[in-house]
Amino acid sequence: MTLSRHQRWLLSLLPPVAAALVQQGLWACIQPLVWFMFYPAVFGSAWIGGRLGGWLATFLSTGLVIYFFIPPRGSFVIAEPRYFLSIGVFVVMGGWMSELQGRLRDARDRLEARVRERTREIEAGNQALREKQEALRTALAEWQELRLALDEHAIVAITDAQGKILNVNDKFCHISQYPREELIGQDHRLINSGHHTKEFIRQLWATIGRGDVWHGEIKNRARDGSYYWVDTTIVPFLNDSGKPRQYLAIRADITERKLAAEAQARLAAIVRSSDDAIIGKTLQGTITSWNRGAEKIFGYGEAEVLGQPLRLLIPPERAAEEPDILARIARGESVEHFETVRVRKDGGRIDVSVTISPLRDSEGRITGASKIARDITSHKQAEEKIRRLNTELEQRVSERTAELKAANRELEAFSYSVSHDLRAPLRHITGFVQLLRKDSGAQLPATSRHYLEVIDGATIKMATLIDDLLTFSRVGRVALQTTVFELEPLVREVVAEFAAETRQRQVEWRLGALPLVRADRALLRLVLLNLIGNAVKFSAPRTPAVIEIGARTDAGTVVFVRDNGVGFDPQYAHKLFGVFQRLHSQAEFEGTGIGLANVQQIIHRHGGEVRAEGALDAGATFSFSLPLQSDDKL
Amino acid sequence: MNAEVHVSCKKILLVEDDPRDVELTLAALAEHQLANEVMVLRDGAEALDYFFRRGNFLGRAGGEPLAVLLDLKMPRVTGIEVLRAVKADAMLKTIPIIMLTSSREEPDLVQCYQLGVNAYVVKPVDFLDFMDAIKGLGLFWAAINEPPAGSLPRPKVFAGGTSKPKAP
Repeated sequence: MTLSRHQRWLLSLLPPVAAALVQQGLWACIQPLVWFMFYPAVFGSAWIGGRLGGWLATFLSTGLVIYFFIPPRGSFVIAEPRYFLSIGVFVVMGGWMSELQGRLRDARDRLEARVRERTREIEAGNQALREKQEALRTALAEWQELRLALDEHAIVAITDAQGKILNVNDKFCHISQYPREELIGQDHRLINSGHHTKEFIRQLWATIGRGDVWHGEIKNRARDGSYYWVDTTIVPFLNDSGKPRQYLAIRADITERKLAAEAQARLAAIVRSSDDAIIGKTLQGTITSWNRGAEKIFGYGEAEVLGQPLRLLIPPERAAEEPDILARIARGESVEHFETVRVRKDGGRIDVSVTISPLRDSEGRITGASKIARDITSHKQAEEKIRRLNTELEQRVSERTAELKAANRELEAFSYSVSHDLRAPLRHITGFVQLLRKDSGAQLPATSRHYLEVIDGATIKMATLIDDLLTFSRVGRVALQTTVFELEPLVREVVAEFAAETRQRQVEWRLGALPLVRADRALLRLVLLNLIGNAVKFSAPRTPAVIEIGARTDAGTVVFVRDNGVGFDPQYAHKLFGVFQRLHSQAEFEGTGIGLANVQQIIHRHGGEVRAEGALDAGATFSFSLPLQSDDKL
Repeated sequence: MNAEVHVSCKKILLVEDDPRDVELTLAALAEHQLANEVMVLRDGAEALDYFFRRGNFLGRAGGEPLAVLLDLKMPRVTGIEVLRAVKADAMLKTIPIIMLTSSREEPDLVQCYQLGVNAYVVKPVDFLDFMDAIKGLGLFWAAINEPPAGSLPRPKVFAGGTSKPKAP
């Protein structure tokens, strides 16, 4: 229980009273020691009431002793002077005890105050520490969250001062395609792409070497050799002496943006460098962009026309075109390859082909139009020239055709006359020679009869010549009537024609495998008649005569007729196929010299080639080719 | 020509401009006793006059020849023109017409058949072949073939069969 100072002062009055009562009771034993009980009483009061309590008890005790115990008792009269000394000693003693007690109290109070103060100080320190700890904990948590956020967002790498990789995050591994263990400890140059100049790299190192933050865009190479672009910030961490100790590189993948920018730049370059005019305009027809092609075609500079109405380029008589075009664009339609006329800055008219398409913003709203105009003036002129040349060419072709037709008609008329008018006299000669022989043959001498035979033979020969020539001329004129047919029956048919002629001879026919061919059957029959006929004729001196007919099929069909006859001198081979060219005298072998010319003409008309191989007295091989038609399935 | 009016009812009509051909043809027909049955006209114009009974043949005796041997190439009016006129006429078109020509020219052949010719013969250069051809023609048209109504009767010498002519 704590007491207030006043209570303690009042309480300190109790010991003197108690001492007086006790001394009174024991007075018989302790007289004449009047101060006996009061020294402890004052001590007790000073203990209780401190300095003031001591003093109060001292004065109260002095009063009580003077009144009750110093004789005469019961009054304040002091009879003996020695009592004055004892009073003085008592008061001094009482004061001393009070002062002692007071000082003790003061010292205790100061000590207590100091303890309290120190306690407060310690508590305050503790509080500060707790707050700091809390702040640290919060900061750590924030840092971890930040780190998480950074890892989520950015490509992060930490290197030492030499550029050796100390740590990388998942995003770094992902974009560079290297597993972490392949990166840690490696030089960061591992992912260099070689794209940047030495100067660029030098600047980078100079900046971070100084301890400054570097910021820029870098192209790196991933493990598979592909490239990626990163927006990079490199932050140096400095040591105590201010030198970089580590570098923190924070990157963001900007490959797509870079590629888009490159594509955009490419497109822009294309637009810029296009020879076609590429013009942007609003839906109101105001020019918003103007490339070099437009400058070249229309003669206006970009600065002159931006913001101007497109009407500027439209000749007055075509003014109606523009609103119509704008209306179509506004409906989302395009105008493609619209050929029209526009006006240059110098007033000249040019032919242009225009393609106009709507331009849309990212939400698909039509905001304007792109117009691509091509100068087709020279194109038009060229077209005109080509048309003129074509017309001239057609004219000339038709003239030539007419000429050829006329020539052909003349030729036909000629051969028609030949066939009628030249044969008729021959018929008359043979007819009348025959009549002469019949009427008077018996009376004629043998020589005259011989002459008649010669006339007869010459006439027949002349008729044969005319027939062959007519055939030759006809073969050149008739239209080919090609069909696909088996060659073998045709060959057998032709061979059969020579049956009578070869009845008296020993002829060994060797027929190889013969293919399907596409040709004019009648003309091909003529070819075979001639070639087989020749083989029969020129192998007459042989016994047996061997005539071989076969075919090869590789690129097209090659048919050959080979005999073991008298052959020919190869140095005259080129003459074989000429009209009236013969390598044998009439006495040796009869012939008109037209047969092979016919063969060549027919084969050439089929698009094929003829060949003759042979040697004197060693037989001959005549072959002809028929080209494969693209649609043939032979 | 008037002198020939009275023989206008010969069985075979030969229209030929070249006298040498006429002679040879007659010689060939004579081999088979047919020469007397032949009437010769010298060109196409005359042939048209004959068929349509005008000019020199105005009012000629009735009856049409058993066969007409018509040369293709003649001055003035060609054989083809005669053929066309005859075959276009409703009364005359039944008369058998045989083209006789020096050469086998494809367009002529085609055109003649399109116009309705009954036969087309190329005169062989060799006289013996020519004789054979003419003989065959004469026999066939004058003796074997059954003529259309309105024709002259067939020559007596052949009437009733083909077995009678002697081989040359």
